Amino acid sequence: MTDSDGNAETGMQVDADLVRQLAELLNENDLTEIEVEDGSRRIVVKRQLVAAPLAAPAIAPAPAPAAAHSEQAPAATADDIARNHPGLVKSPMVGTAYLAGEPGAEPFVAPGTRVAAGDTLLLIEAMKVMNAIAAPRGGTVTQILVQNAQPVEYDQPLVVIE
Amino acid sequence: MTIKKILIANRGEIALRIHRACHEMGIKTVAAHSTADADAMHVRLADEAICIGPPPAVDSYLNIPNIISAAELAHADAIHPGYGFLSENAQFAEIVELHNIVWIGPKPEHIRTMGDKVEAKRTAAKLGLPLVPGSDGPVEEFAEARRIAGETGYPIIIKAASGGGGRGMKVVRTERELEAQMMQARSEAKNAFGDDTVYIEKYLDDPRHIEFQVFGDGQGNAIHLGERDCSLQRRHQKVLEEAPSPVITEEQRARMGAIVVKAMAEMGYRGAGTIEFLYENGEFYFIEMNTRLQVEHPVTEMITGIDLVREQIRIASGEGLSCRQEQVQFRGHAIECRINAEDPQTFAPSPGLVKNYVAPGGMHVRVDSGLYAGYRVPPYYDSMIGKLIVYGTTRERCILRLRRALEEFVVEGMKTTIPLHQKLVDDPEFRSGDYTIKWLEQWLARQEVEQDV
Repeated sequence: MTDSDGNAETGMQVDADLVRQLAELLNENDLTEIEVEDGSRRIVVKRQLVAAPLAAPAIAPAPAPAAAHSEQAPAATADDIARNHPGLVKSPMVGTAYLAGEPGAEPFVAPGTRVAAGDTLLLIEAMKVMNAIAAPRGGTVTQILVQNAQPVEYDQPLVVIE
Repeated sequence: MTIKKILIANRGEIALRIHRACHEMGIKTVAAHSTADADAMHVRLADEAICIGPPPAVDSYLNIPNIISAAELAHADAIHPGYGFLSENAQFAEIVELHNIVWIGPKPEHIRTMGDKVEAKRTAAKLGLPLVPGSDGPVEEFAEARRIAGETGYPIIIKAASGGGGRGMKVVRTERELEAQMMQARSEAKNAFGDDTVYIEKYLDDPRHIEFQVFGDGQGNAIHLGERDCSLQRRHQKVLEEAPSPVITEEQRARMGAIVVKAMAEMGYRGAGTIEFLYENGEFYFIEMNTRLQVEHPVTEMITGIDLVREQIRIASGEGLSCRQEQVQFRGHAIECRINAEDPQTFAPSPGLVKNYVAPGGMHVRVDSGLYAGYRVPPYYDSMIGKLIVYGTTRERCILRLRRALEEFVVEGMKTTIPLHQKLVDDPEFRSGDYTIKWLEQWLARQEVEQDV
């Protein structure tokens, strides 16, 4: 389910009742995904099999042979939109994403931050080595698609810069 | 230690094979895959999937940091490297073990020894395995080469120490060509393997390629699971394999089997291994050892009833070998056809979208393939898209069943080598088992001529 930061830009109203209804339908019928489209509005509700996102870093549970490719914990809808976004920055490696330089510090960027090409967006730790992920171009960060300490795979959507 | 989760660092049919063995043992799987393999069957079936890089193997399936990272993130207990890629990379094996992840394979030192073909021969000699006559070690100077070639007797073959798998070899028939061929061999070896060390062997006239499957528990115990005949090759790539070999007797099997078992036990070998020989006039000549599971392992599984991937995992978990040599039984006959996405005559690669897929079935018919209708075969990797393995109580029945199974095999949307195999199984020389490593290429040349006529 989308967080409000992602919605603020587009001004979309979230019909909480509808989403709740969809979630109930999902559970009652043992589905893993429901998608509803109405004109220009589209809502996707997906079930994740990971019970505790922080405790069990299962990268991409594949619930059924017919299921689509791996998806990450939060932001299912924003992820779908972001995947095709021209300003998307994807992960060049496999590791753990950290949004700040050290625990407790300010995140490198937040939605609204203006960056120049080369600015550090986040860190990805792999095998005890921290790698700075630099902005490939200048612009404004509009979406941050990973959580702090989230495992990421190659090509995983990280951040959108517009 | 009990292995509960295995990261599969490979792709295609072998990744699926490993996944299946894991799930049959209640072990969870993590599919490490490139972006091109996001829709691969084993990726869809695995408990977890992690994308480790873009299509080129060097950035994905050979990307050690990404693979190790993926294993750590997924909390995998072990990594299975399959065959090819990093399976015989001793450094990778060491890195895996350094990270306290179980390496499903031999001890890194043995991978290293057998990976250097000169060292492998020395080790084989010390362990009592018969060798192809030739230089005792690397050959540096041309004068030395000329002397050794003269003593060995032409024709000889110059091989790259860091080669193997049929690559980096030059046949020399007369002394006149020796110098030029040696220079070329060295420069090609340097380019292909980063090492221009070469050695010389007698070039056997018309041998068969016969290899023995071995397993060791790493504690000085070893067993053999019989031989496979892999003489049907084109450009040093195996096309069809069978077990047992049509020409090997029970006595020969027991004798060579005992020799290789003793060698592996002495070495303290751990895991699966294959010792390859050239066989001519009743004599076996060691050429190399592969410290990994082989593509053609299913034919051995069919005639022994032993799951070789399961055995690898058992050994890696510290559970030891599943049986003693006396308990290993060889029954019936099995043949494997490698199915490639290639033109059956020109062998030009033919990747594409599988529009329709119908695998053969019935008694004793096995298909190891990740194909399904709607799957797109990526162009970035080797062209093998599956293996058809058939078992029969006798070789004759096996061939008839193979013929029947090939009739049923449908792969629409690309060219495959199924028609090639269909012609092969009808050939009288193949049916009589009378073939050597030169046979297939000569047969193909004959087919071409008949085609033009």
